[in-house]
Amino acid sequence: MADRTLGAPPPDSALSQALKQWLFSFQEFWLLTAQAFRNIAATPFYAADTFLQMDSIGVGSLPIVVLTGFFTGAVMALQLSATLTEYGQIDRLGQLVSLSLVLELGPVLSALMIGARNASGMASELGSMVVTEQIDAMRALGTDPVKKLVTPRLIATIVMTFFLTLIADMCGIVGGWVYAVMGIHMNGALYWFSAFRILDASSMIQGLIKPLIFGGIIATVGCYYGMKARGGTQGVGRATTQAVVLASLLIIISDFLLSRLLVGILGT
Amino acid sequence: MPSAGGAATPPGDIVVRLEHVVLSFGGGPVLDDVSLQVRRGETKVLLGESGAGKSVLMKLVLGLLRPDRGRVWVFDQEVSAMKEQALYDLRRKIGMTFQESALFDSLSVRDNVAYRLEEDGVLTPEAMDERVRTCLSFVNLDAVMDKMPAELSGGMRHRVSIARALATSPEIMLYDSPTGGLDPETATTIMDLIIKLRDCNHVTALLATHRLQDGYLLATHAWDDATQTARWAAEGARHTSFLLLRQGRAIFDGSAAELRRDADPYVREFLS
Repeated sequence: MADRTLGAPPPDSALSQALKQWLFSFQEFWLLTAQAFRNIAATPFYAADTFLQMDSIGVGSLPIVVLTGFFTGAVMALQLSATLTEYGQIDRLGQLVSLSLVLELGPVLSALMIGARNASGMASELGSMVVTEQIDAMRALGTDPVKKLVTPRLIATIVMTFFLTLIADMCGIVGGWVYAVMGIHMNGALYWFSAFRILDASSMIQGLIKPLIFGGIIATVGCYYGMKARGGTQGVGRATTQAVVLASLLIIISDFLLSRLLVGILGT
Repeated sequence: MPSAGGAATPPGDIVVRLEHVVLSFGGGPVLDDVSLQVRRGETKVLLGESGAGKSVLMKLVLGLLRPDRGRVWVFDQEVSAMKEQALYDLRRKIGMTFQESALFDSLSVRDNVAYRLEEDGVLTPEAMDERVRTCLSFVNLDAVMDKMPAELSGGMRHRVSIARALATSPEIMLYDSPTGGLDPETATTIMDLIIKLRDCNHVTALLATHRLQDGYLLATHAWDDATQTARWAAEGARHTSFLLLRQGRAIFDGSAAELRRDADPYVREFLS
């Protein structure tokens, strides 16, 4: 039998250590998130940094969001048109495309695109600052790095994800219209009438709340992995990959939970 | 030249104190029961091989790390028990240069040096530029104000990092391996600057290094205003003391003369 000092705690098993590490990371993530949100109301407010991030996230992500939205709408029109024609319901094409885009595909696909581009960017940028001791230097110079680096990115991502999703929704509906008119020679006015008639307050609210949550997920996950990066350039690379994977997963999972919650509150 | 710091604390007072500090990172202790005191105007040289715990000790003084056991005091405030937000105010009285300079790579030299001044928002842009010029001139780098850190050599980056730390006239300076990886000539330039700061500005300092010659240079040289160089002078020793760390334990604390006389086998081996 192994000799053990009386009263000494038993050695941790690998499973117990992994669980502790996971709980510790979970706690760190929520502490960082809480601090970042609390800083929104605290002084100093880094307005210039926030606008710089809005430009980087918003303008930088615009082309991929426009293209994603447009071709998603077009491919939906392509796939649905055959089935709808078979059932004699082709005049409902606009409504199916717009409702799918506003409720689900617009927010989710935009968030995935914005997340892939910006969660990775945040993780690598902040991670590089951590491993080159720039974050420590910032703290040494009397600046709170969460206030200076994380909060501006959080505000910018939430605001810009909201507007980019609106743009993606619009581009998707336009994409569907382009295919409807040019691909199956549908009446354009009928498509637009059908597309807008179905959009009531409930679906609009659902479609506009989701990007706010998704924006928060992208920024907090990206910044969290950046701020906890360790181990040089390899560590930064690992943090970047982990940030994109977790942000994408959380967007998909939270989309289901949010949909269930909002349908419960607002009705279908 | 940047104005002298240290006016708030009377001469001879202890401004940095570590009491039985222990810190571990997962494995064995990085610092094991380390105690030290630094008086106002004194330069404490932290000697030791790589991994001995010198940088960690500096970060403890600044509150960037917290000890597992023991206490850290700076200006009669217990850093080891302060909240992060309260530490930001204290850190404004302390300047630190990092091993790899840690300049903000997306900011120009001017913006790096002016960083803390801009955060304070007290000075006008003209006054800020004047202050930046003064600090850069102190480290003989007037001409690089508009360059980016990536355009500078390692020695220049170290000097900019000293200028950045000096911008708000800190009362304490922490130098983490300021000559690490530099050629002998550049290393001497950096050490001359540290001697100049000690003797002209009477800044209290901790200097971490594995280079014994850097410590002896501090202990045997003083700044000569007439020639604007560091020259051999016995009074240099009065302001300089040594702490030798071995695997996280302090095995020697005293003056240069005491270090030379110490009979401990590891000290003898380190000095040879």
